[in-house]
Amino acid sequence: MELTRRRLLELGAGMGAGLVLASCAGGGSGTGVESSAAPGPAGPPRPGGTLRVGALGKVAAIIQDPHGSQSNESDYLIIALAYDPLTVPGDPRTVTPRLASSWEASPDLRRHRFALAEGARFHDGSPVTSADVVWSLQRLRATPAGASRLPGIDPAGIAADGPNAVVLTSNYPNADLPLLVRLTTFVLKQDTADVAGAPGTGPFRLESYRQGNARLVRNDTWYGGAPLLDAVDVRIFESPQAMVNALFTGEIDVASNVGPVAARTAQGRDGIQIVRRPNDSALPIVMRVADGPFADARVREAFRLAVDRDAMVAQALSGFGRIANDVMGTGDPAYATDLPQRRRDPARAVALLDEAGFDRSARYQLITADEAPGQGESAILFANQLRDIGVGIDVVRQDLGTFYDETWLKAPLYTTYWGTNDSVTFFASKTMISGAGQNETGQQDPAFDTAYQQAVSTADEQQRTSALRRLQEIEHQRSGYLLWGMADGVDLASEKVGDPPKLAGFGRVQFERTWLAD
Amino acid sequence: MPRIVRRVTRLLGLLGRRVVLLAVLLVGVFASVTFLPRDAAQSTLDRGASAAELAARRAQLGLDQPLIERFARWMGGLLTGDLGTAARGQPVADVVLVALPNTVLLGGLALGLTVIVAVTVACLATLRPGGPLDRLISATATVTLALPEFVVASVLVLVFALWAGLLPAVAITSAGGSVAPQALILPVLAVAIPQLGWNVRLVRAALADEARAPHVDAAQLDGLSRSRLLVRHLLPGVLPAVAAAAVTSVGLVLGGAIVVEAIFNYPGVGVVLTQAVQDRDAPLVAGVVALTGALILGLLLLADAVRAWATWGTR
Repeated sequence: MELTRRRLLELGAGMGAGLVLASCAGGGSGTGVESSAAPGPAGPPRPGGTLRVGALGKVAAIIQDPHGSQSNESDYLIIALAYDPLTVPGDPRTVTPRLASSWEASPDLRRHRFALAEGARFHDGSPVTSADVVWSLQRLRATPAGASRLPGIDPAGIAADGPNAVVLTSNYPNADLPLLVRLTTFVLKQDTADVAGAPGTGPFRLESYRQGNARLVRNDTWYGGAPLLDAVDVRIFESPQAMVNALFTGEIDVASNVGPVAARTAQGRDGIQIVRRPNDSALPIVMRVADGPFADARVREAFRLAVDRDAMVAQALSGFGRIANDVMGTGDPAYATDLPQRRRDPARAVALLDEAGFDRSARYQLITADEAPGQGESAILFANQLRDIGVGIDVVRQDLGTFYDETWLKAPLYTTYWGTNDSVTFFASKTMISGAGQNETGQQDPAFDTAYQQAVSTADEQQRTSALRRLQEIEHQRSGYLLWGMADGVDLASEKVGDPPKLAGFGRVQFERTWLAD
Repeated sequence: MPRIVRRVTRLLGLLGRRVVLLAVLLVGVFASVTFLPRDAAQSTLDRGASAAELAARRAQLGLDQPLIERFARWMGGLLTGDLGTAARGQPVADVVLVALPNTVLLGGLALGLTVIVAVTVACLATLRPGGPLDRLISATATVTLALPEFVVASVLVLVFALWAGLLPAVAITSAGGSVAPQALILPVLAVAIPQLGWNVRLVRAALADEARAPHVDAAQLDGLSRSRLLVRHLLPGVLPAVAAAAVTSVGLVLGGAIVVEAIFNYPGVGVVLTQAVQDRDAPLVAGVVALTGALILGLLLLADAVRAWATWGTR
């Protein structure tokens, strides 16, 4: 065999991966919620202490408005500690109460009534009323992103129901509304003029703020039960590397969402916990269904059979993740774990391509951008794996701006990134039903649409389950998604940090039960 | 009298040319941000915003107007001291003026350190021209000349923060917004070390030149000690060269600071600039360039003045 430059690079990549795998051997089984270089503190949680949390953010993008478009994780963390939304992510239920203590839907699933938590008070002592909630939701709805944060809810559909409940009326039946209002529906006092630093109802109260850095102190009268920590210091970091260095030198206690590359540097380091939050990000390969070379379902099936999922997880994610089965929303309790796991089968893939008359002499572009760790790497690995079935893929790396401008929702083959993965219907509604605003593959599948409508418009648990199952079957069978694996969210924490956040996605901000050992 | 008039006129002419240069630079900055793919409206909206939302945002940011018009309006504001509004809504002046003092502090300390060390080391080398120390210094200077800031910064963090645990790895700001003094040490070193090579070589060469001057020969023949000769006769002569070298380094120091700020999470203007370019935020990029440009301009002028003063009467 001829030893070309490409082959050499591949060999190099393989050796690198081998080393990585070897170094991961002690760390990740890929199934545990948490794997640690060091264990967390033993013993019962103790009160007290100031937790210093580092989070990523850009100084020029700082936003203090709870209803603003927060692109900084640090800003979002500060807001989520000081303000409460109606509902939050949870485990095992993916929606758990927060400022709304309970909710119920009308039989047609168009009206949702949220009862407010008893004893909820703002940091200035005044009680939370439905007027405050209505005002806040109206304010959120009026922002540029309001329509997508309160999907299907018009301003007129936000109303008080007595002093302690609000009713949200949707334009269509939507069983998922309580889930969709998680973590965005922050509540401020009615008629708050200056929202930056205004009183919230959250587990911590903002004490001081400067340039993206904040100190928040415990809200002793929080209706959810006072947190254990005296205070949380949030510090803004521009790069994960600086954040990890700060953790290693003891300048912070938690490095939030640092990613797998940084976590690798912590492996084998004393006194550092590696906290893995499974099902955090999806980095699927998107194959256009509507038209182009991948419109034939057999071609897409062939690609899905050509990918070596284990190798992708090991190499693109440094082992911080697990393989997936081409169905988006892997963290959903209703996720179909019984669908047969697709495995690598190059022979079958080649047969399918020939059957479909796929032109294997042509070269195809796979466009990628570096939005999430491992994204670009996954594209290169995928292209290499596809050479085994005789398909030539050229990986094109685009600047994120160009990517969203020219590629996303348009190109026949590209990688994408999603950071919320605990709902199958979330993806169905946003990216797969006909006419969805972010239909990444151009899918128009009547059977899929029907299954989706049934799933979200029935209150009957059994009917919903069977509709969801059908929806996932179709997605697994013929959608444009090649979801090879799911990346863990990776946080690093000092060994003194007890009960750090464990949920994926926005669940990373849940520090209300965290504590610090002596 | 006519000579001083001539000199002042020359300085003013120089200043005028540089101001024009800065204005041209700002046009270039504005244009290049505009010609990059994607614009500030897209960068600051949520992913998947509709075309209507995008158009509204563009109109709000004034991106629907021609480049010339936007630039003219921004320049008009600049003359009245208004740097405009960044894409995410904060006044540019607020963002830049919070960060700039930190960068000036970092760059100033690094530059000061560079000059002091460069002059000291160059003097040491000059004491025995061609001796082992001179050769060692010359070789080391060449090596440091080739060291990129990020390598120096990474090695410093590794050695002094991660291994030895002597100094903080990042510059964490206090509640008051200031950076702790010990957190400044590594960033200053990381900016200064790569500048040392160039400055040492320049000062060393200037000293060698100066040593060939007739008055130095005379002083030497008078039997002055080498160190006395150095301090009394050589150093004053190389002052213009030192000033020129230092000022040439200002731009490099600021460039280096951008890299170093990212590594140390230092809350300076470099971080702001990087992010502004990513956001395609033309007013913010131009604001940073205008203020740092003005700063460099002032320093260049100062160096010219030093040179003029030092060479007073020699021509």
